[in-house]
Amino acid sequence: MSEEKINHAPEDAAAAAEAELNAKLAKPSLMDIFVRGARKGWNIAIDNIIPNVLMAYVCIKILNVTGLLTLAGKFFAPVMAIWGLPGEAIMVLFSALMSMGGAVGVCMALYNDGGIDERSITIVIPAIYLLGSKIQYLGRLLGTAGVPSRHYPILLSISFLNAGIAMFIMKILTM
Amino acid sequence: MDKVKETLNKVPLSGYIVLVIAIAIFSGLFANAGHGLNIFDFDTLNGKFGTMKSAKATFSGQGGSGARDGFLFAFGLAPGVMLAMGLIEVVEHYGGLKAAQKLMTPILRPILGIPGICGIALVSSLQSTDAGAGMTRQLHLEKQITDNELLIFSAFQFTAGGLITNYLSSGSALFGFLTVPISIPLAVLFVMKIFGANMMRAYVKIFCKEAA
Repeated sequence: MSEEKINHAPEDAAAAAEAELNAKLAKPSLMDIFVRGARKGWNIAIDNIIPNVLMAYVCIKILNVTGLLTLAGKFFAPVMAIWGLPGEAIMVLFSALMSMGGAVGVCMALYNDGGIDERSITIVIPAIYLLGSKIQYLGRLLGTAGVPSRHYPILLSISFLNAGIAMFIMKILTM
Repeated sequence: MDKVKETLNKVPLSGYIVLVIAIAIFSGLFANAGHGLNIFDFDTLNGKFGTMKSAKATFSGQGGSGARDGFLFAFGLAPGVMLAMGLIEVVEHYGGLKAAQKLMTPILRPILGIPGICGIALVSSLQSTDAGAGMTRQLHLEKQITDNELLIFSAFQFTAGGLITNYLSSGSALFGFLTVPISIPLAVLFVMKIFGANMMRAYVKIFCKEAA
């Protein structure tokens, strides 16, 4: 047994170092834990938020330059007025279906252009998340969880209904 | 073999279309085209950084547009996202989420119509959509939840998935503009998630009796 130990001394040293590392990993300090989480946040920001928001800003730029934003604003104004929102806010809801970060970007771009105000942002914010990333979640959530596809329409309808009601609640709360 | 080569060499029509658009965008030919045609100009899409018009401007300035403005705005979100994720990690490590799960377990059946065993998956789903979906699948495969309960639980997760993480990360960009405290929209989101699950509960009760 001892012979084995001698023979494997370098490995033992490596194992000891690994054990020490594991011990450190097993009992990280408060700061280590925070930093681990912050690093996750950095990855979310870089991999997800920045590309999505950048795309949203470019989309809004295209809609602005072509005049489609004004057109959509006028066209959807009567519908969005139900929730006390300007017609342009429909773009936030459309983009939310694709990505939540993108919808936040659209919200900011519209705010900077004067298309929506603080109250509109307050009304629409729950809808961004209730409708958020629906297209992705069909696969990532419902597909993974094993929900039969025949139930997708009702699940989508519930999300739309939720968003509609939530915006009503926010409209009342911001009155 | 020739057929394979032919297929590989065949260029789809879309290829030519995007090539023409790409050449137009990068050539700068449409820079001053007007009538909305300047969307085919790289510089127009790239936009401009904001400028320091007043002392109130942040590092991203004011009056920017396009990709440049979007980048700086999104970059400005990183500190908030990192802070929120750091705090959530600490809460999770010290058992905060487990405590939430324990508190929630007895109320899951009355408020959502799903068994208490879903508590861990439910709390995880608030943090990560993928983790929640994976755990839900496992619960269903192990027959811990029925087909109908799977539908109800999925309805809860499907609307505002990964709520805490998403709201505190991307949502943080909008917090400064809210006219109500940030907890109000979050509370509304929770209420609507529960409402949505109960809509599904009613739906399965009426239409999915065979799976019960």
